[in-house]
Amino acid sequence: MIFFSNSVIVFIFIEALLLLLLSIAFINVVGILKSWDFSATSTKQYLLEKRSYLVLLIIFFTLGFKIILLPYFIYMIDELNVLVPGAMCAAGVINSNIYGVYLLSLKVRILFLVGLWIILNHYDLQAKDYPFFKKKLWLFILIFFLIIAESILDIFYLINIVTDTPVSCCSAIYGVSGISNPIPFDLHVSELLGLFYLLYGLTLISALYRYALLSLFSNMAFLYSAYYSVVYFFGTYVYELPTHLCPFCMLQAEYFYSGYFIWGTLFLGTFFGISAALLQYITGKEIKKMYRYSLAFNSAFILFCSSYVLLYYIRNGVFL
Amino acid sequence: MKKFLPYIFILLIMTGIITIFLSRASQQQMLTVYEGNTEHKPLPIKLGHYQDTQCGMPVEHLMNSAQAIAPNGKTWFFDDVGCLAIWMQDKEFKDKLIIWVYAKDTKTWIDAHKAWYSLTDKTPMHYGFGAHTNKKENYIDFVSMQLRMLRNENMSNPHFRRELLGEH
Repeated sequence: MIFFSNSVIVFIFIEALLLLLLSIAFINVVGILKSWDFSATSTKQYLLEKRSYLVLLIIFFTLGFKIILLPYFIYMIDELNVLVPGAMCAAGVINSNIYGVYLLSLKVRILFLVGLWIILNHYDLQAKDYPFFKKKLWLFILIFFLIIAESILDIFYLINIVTDTPVSCCSAIYGVSGISNPIPFDLHVSELLGLFYLLYGLTLISALYRYALLSLFSNMAFLYSAYYSVVYFFGTYVYELPTHLCPFCMLQAEYFYSGYFIWGTLFLGTFFGISAALLQYITGKEIKKMYRYSLAFNSAFILFCSSYVLLYYIRNGVFL
Repeated sequence: MKKFLPYIFILLIMTGIITIFLSRASQQQMLTVYEGNTEHKPLPIKLGHYQDTQCGMPVEHLMNSAQAIAPNGKTWFFDDVGCLAIWMQDKEFKDKLIIWVYAKDTKTWIDAHKAWYSLTDKTPMHYGFGAHTNKKENYIDFVSMQLRMLRNENMSNPHFRRELLGEH
């Protein structure tokens, strides 16, 4: 039944097409890696360079498309909630079987590596001697295998979406229905918020002073704390309901699709912060732009989230 | 000084983060289930540390508290005998549970099945069932107490409270 949905058909078709293109690229990449010698002036090397140009173009195009495909995947899942009994948003559909959460988590990780590859490719093409050529091809091989795993998970997930038995809605999944605290380390919301703003402070300093290692760890910790802060605190201000805890409902039209901006800026801010450190390690160069982008997106994220709380307080004179 | 400024900020932030975790660690952690009570004896209750599995309230007083021990040694705690009665009703192992209640008259842990329950005591959840070792007039046994809890015939029900207290 799920497979009759237009959005699912489009998604599977695009995924299959991209996988086909990536497979072609993968076969060529293996061939190029085997015989690549940039210092050689042979015809073989000349042909390899010509072939590599086309292959890199295919990879760039397909991986670029993968970036657009993640928001589309989330949109598709959100749309499917009408077919899954009990689901009120993407949370119910994602949790309708055991594969959903792993799939989404894998997709985000792949997106991170894809972003890294695109930046590495950009700096490699800028240099005349392709200094990171082999590194980016190895990175592509890693991404390719992860995409194969993702495609298998995609199929398992979509096949196993239940349409005949009720699933839990987001209130049951994220809500405080039991007596255990869902926030890690048994933190209270106030402590979580303290941690959230302090970690933002660390990302700010690491970006301003360009401390690579600090940028890596502070952004990873910030991403972790920000996820829980949005679900268990800021989200309640987006919904203007203290009992509504969900990372997905904010992606819906009722909330002006604000979730796309919230999660998008968080992803980009932490991505650039983490990538700044990783690329410094890979390329041996400090890329100032990355720190600037990280600072801008993290700040946009924190301002946007905090403004919900502030505006609510100005309008109502109380906090939730 | 300007050179050290970022390091000072980092140090301050790190101190803030560590303080949050240390303060969390020093706070009392609630315990809902104790594992390994293989002797099936009542455990000494640390007040404010154990949490009632049914209502989620911390066990603040020994009076009216109860413990249920499964054959494998898992022990659950309750701040009100009524909570225990509700909790155990749908448990598959309810007939194998060893249940202890704190007797108000002898101030000791006694077998819940041998205890007698008053109907109008002040209890944390206002159900009114106080456990006693010695029987008095109008006291009921465990099975009757459990039945009254499941039928909502207890002090938390305004209709029955009036009836039990003789208010008309």
